[in-house]
Amino acid sequence: MKQIKISLNVNGRDYFIETAVNRTLLDILREDLKLTGVKDACGGEGECGACTVVLNGEAVNSCLVLAGQANGQRVLTIEGLALDGELHPLQQAFINAGAVQCGFCTPGAVLAAKALLDHNPHPDDDEIREALSGNLCRCTGYTKMITAVHLAEEALQHG
Amino acid sequence: MREFEYYQPKTNGELLAALALDGARVVAGGTDIIPRWRKERLSATCLVDISAVGGLRFIREEEGVIEIGALSTHADLIASPLIQNKAPLLAQAAASVGCTQTRQRGTLGGNLVNASPAADLAPALLALNASAWLMSAESERCVPLAEFWLGPGKTVLTPGEFLRSVTFLPPQGACGLAFAKLGKRSGMAIAVASAAAYLVLDERGNIHTARLALGSLAPMPKRSPAAETLLTTAAYDEMLADRAASAALIDISPIDDVRASAAYRRLACKVLVERVLKEAYNQALGRLS
Repeated sequence: MKQIKISLNVNGRDYFIETAVNRTLLDILREDLKLTGVKDACGGEGECGACTVVLNGEAVNSCLVLAGQANGQRVLTIEGLALDGELHPLQQAFINAGAVQCGFCTPGAVLAAKALLDHNPHPDDDEIREALSGNLCRCTGYTKMITAVHLAEEALQHG
Repeated sequence: MREFEYYQPKTNGELLAALALDGARVVAGGTDIIPRWRKERLSATCLVDISAVGGLRFIREEEGVIEIGALSTHADLIASPLIQNKAPLLAQAAASVGCTQTRQRGTLGGNLVNASPAADLAPALLALNASAWLMSAESERCVPLAEFWLGPGKTVLTPGEFLRSVTFLPPQGACGLAFAKLGKRSGMAIAVASAAAYLVLDERGNIHTARLALGSLAPMPKRSPAAETLLTTAAYDEMLADRAASAALIDISPIDDVRASAAYRRLACKVLVERVLKEAYNQALGRLS
């Protein structure tokens, strides 16, 4: 299999990786960088949002980003959200609102919410629903996620 | 993921050279191609990643023509002030695609070249009477979008050719534009049926120009000549919208599939057509004075 050399910045750190061309950003994050907070629930179809990362400031499904397309990009995963051991307001808000059940969809949902709040610091319920519509939660904790995003919104405003 | 040859051209020239290879298939945002590759539903052996080619991601108006580069994403269309002002139905159609994550990666070019009967941008662009610009090593040609698709998954693109951009004239005068999509839910739903309308009124308020386009109701996105003929030069009222919606049924050939039955699609078609005609007419009327 053909190999390519790519460089990418993940959670503020630069990586230089040689990888087979048929791997995705999801594979690289989980298998090479051991960032297993990035999940795969639908088998790489871009349906579930569990593999959501923030790529150059936007929420994307990492299972659909080819290795070659990750070259030169800036990636944020759930592991890069807490600063100096302190949870990001969104993470704390998800806990406080009880927007976590089995937890499998949570990293993706938190990162989708992060991209939303970065662009739109005061979203209404509809905007939150829209931003999280690509993140499936089989425990159906959707309502609590909306509450969580509002809690984070307040925390970020006062923080 | 199973193996493939991979090229990542940076220029049009490198892209054309890669497309000349046997079994080449363009991948851009990957939102359709990668899942299909995983499911072994692509006959290609070589993926030509067009995403790094310069000069294909733009939305501009020049000399009275709006042009959108093939690599423009759905999110680009939604955020574009030009599209919001002059062709809001296209922004609306783009907003109905998948979810945020899909719209960040998925491109206009991919949406059209995949040739899905359910492509969300297709009815909106057909209603705008858009043209597709196709580029190959030897030539450049422009085809009306209405003639771009040959059937599900099939386009007029020949081997070695790629879709560079689409163009259309910005709607002017007393015009109205509307798009409506019916899916099982709002997020991540593929259209059960969709419709887009473009109406221009003359100074007396009669319909001067009518374009009606339909999605997920035939082997390819298409316009409805029957409805358009009926609408042109007529005075709009609800009865006319009802008759036009019935006429549109002549031009469709819906199928039963996992998303809906053909019978349901016919019902949905009628409702969506009436809805977009009403909305387009009201908009146009508002611009008449």
